[in-house]
Amino acid sequence: MSPEGTVTIDHVWKRFRSDRGRRLLRDHVSRLGRRVSGREDAAQWRWVLREIDFKIEPGESVGFVGSNGAGKSTLLKIISGVMFPHTGRVAVEGRIGALIEVASGIHPELTGKENISVFGTLLGLGKSELARKYDEIVAFAELEDAINRQVKFYSSGMKTRLGFAIAAFLEPSVLIVDEVLAVGDQMFQQKCLDRMRTVLHSGTTLLLVSHDLAAVGATASRAIWLADGTMQADGPVDEVLAGYRTAIEKEAASKIELEGEIRISNFTTFGGSGGAITTSGPCSVSFDVTAPQAKHANFFIGVSQGAATPIFAVRKEGIRVSEGETHVAVDFAGIPLPAGGYFIWFAAFEVKTGREITPWQPIGPLLVEGGRLLDATPKAIVRLSPVFVEAQWTVSD
Amino acid sequence: MNSAIPQIPDSPPPEWRYRRALRVGTSLRELGRSRHIISGLVVRQVRSQYSQQVLGLAWAVLAPLAQMLVFTFLLNRVGNSTFSTGGVPRPLFLYVGLTAWSFFSSSVSSAGSSLVGNPLLNKVYAPREVFPLSQVCSSGVDAIASTALLPLLFLAAGRWPSSTFYWFPVLVLILVTATVAIALAVSALTVYVRDLRSGLPLILQLGLFLTPILYPISQIPTQFRALTMAINPIAGVVDGLRACLFYNQAPNPTYTLLAAGSSLLYLVGGFLLFKRLETGFADVS
Repeated sequence: MSPEGTVTIDHVWKRFRSDRGRRLLRDHVSRLGRRVSGREDAAQWRWVLREIDFKIEPGESVGFVGSNGAGKSTLLKIISGVMFPHTGRVAVEGRIGALIEVASGIHPELTGKENISVFGTLLGLGKSELARKYDEIVAFAELEDAINRQVKFYSSGMKTRLGFAIAAFLEPSVLIVDEVLAVGDQMFQQKCLDRMRTVLHSGTTLLLVSHDLAAVGATASRAIWLADGTMQADGPVDEVLAGYRTAIEKEAASKIELEGEIRISNFTTFGGSGGAITTSGPCSVSFDVTAPQAKHANFFIGVSQGAATPIFAVRKEGIRVSEGETHVAVDFAGIPLPAGGYFIWFAAFEVKTGREITPWQPIGPLLVEGGRLLDATPKAIVRLSPVFVEAQWTVSD
Repeated sequence: MNSAIPQIPDSPPPEWRYRRALRVGTSLRELGRSRHIISGLVVRQVRSQYSQQVLGLAWAVLAPLAQMLVFTFLLNRVGNSTFSTGGVPRPLFLYVGLTAWSFFSSSVSSAGSSLVGNPLLNKVYAPREVFPLSQVCSSGVDAIASTALLPLLFLAAGRWPSSTFYWFPVLVLILVTATVAIALAVSALTVYVRDLRSGLPLILQLGLFLTPILYPISQIPTQFRALTMAINPIAGVVDGLRACLFYNQAPNPTYTLLAAGSSLLYLVGGFLLFKRLETGFADVS
């Protein structure tokens, strides 16, 4: 038997039914018959996981990345035992705990106190364990005053805090975290991250699903990239994330379709003396704008990563765009970006009226090639914007 | 970094098909370990049901009491019923049967909707049986409350339960076995055949009249009695309860054995069916 905290996934496939339209009672009954007898179903199936195969050692922290519908949540459900695979074998040693969307476990008619005991047992906490941790849970959820009130009179934030607090005090061998870092206010988020760090330090295996790549990068040491139900890559987190980011940028770049009155063409980026762009090096962005008539406009240019994480933006007021083509170039002296793929965003507003001429939208990719990577952060969940800053350390007595 | 396996076939080789070996011992042991989950769910249901009501758990008693009065009235005044209860006041006679039947029917109907649309099913891992079983237990709480009223009713009727009432636990055991069996089967079937959600109340309503609850078993033609007992264990249980509480008799051995046998058979069948269908619950519900 493998040590506690091991997760073994062996050739797992999973499919969902994809036939559409109404089904008759007859179909339901025959489906039931096939299920009972175990015969193959003639229905149409869609494979949502194909040939998933990996092994996670105790204490590893693994991030799962991939676009929506890639199968991340289904895979975690199979690991947690809620769903059964179609093919293959899943083995998890030790207790599994899941930090999931917790609102469904909280019953509105019960008081906070009753919910702690009931939902706690549902998640697998024993009676004595619960009694021991009760005060901690209440304090963590910051609900000392409201704990004897019915949950339906709670604010939505209080509800989430309650649910999260109960789940956070599980001490599992394998912790599954599915996209819950966006819970509560800033202070509470920080608390959750601290709590997760504590759990991790005690040697728990962590499986994390998040679209927040910075959080994955800072937490996990290994990443698995799922695309369309298959494992695209499995390896050290930096390499996998770099590959995934490049793929997102490529896909997004192929989809860029500009709207608005001002058209953009001949978009290019280049570094010093026309070469590649490097970290802390010069960078130029140039493009032509085509306007149907003369405009007096404010331009905005921004940079983002993963199409969603804005890093910085600059603005130039009062640009006169004549009818027809105008050439625009922006030079950045030292661009503080680590190597990777980014996006250039653009927007234009009329000076007088503030009317939007071209909405804020990505207009093209920016690739930083010069090999500087961000230093590793402390082993914790720390949100980082990908900004590279030159640092000089002096250590003296 | 391992790159992906270059060629993934369209479907997996059939010999890799995941077949969950059904180990009865293991699943029962796991279920035993989940006792506290069931008790948690029961507490949650009972508390949330009664916590805000003025009368609270008293409703568990009021419901069968009201039913008893309504049916007594109907049988006395409206119906043309001539059956004899052997000297037992009709309300008391009805109350025993109605309590047993309400336990069965409320267990089965709430178990029927315990898996479909249950948000916990997809979120928290627990043996799936805990959801229908906790519904049976919640109905059990109500049944205990209404059974607790039975001595008072005897007192009001001016008589004592017969000395053969020690058969009571045996009959309750058969009743619980049958109820658990049907609850398991119905909850699993409802996931796949949603029509059961609407059809179940109707079936249970019919069951109330087809089972000798509102009339003694003597109203059923002799040649059908054994068959009724074999198909419907509740009939045997109710007949036995009346025999041992009212008539100072041991329950009819044939009927009781038939009821016990068929409920055991149902339990095995219901459990196997549940286990068989279980692997797909999270996919379709």
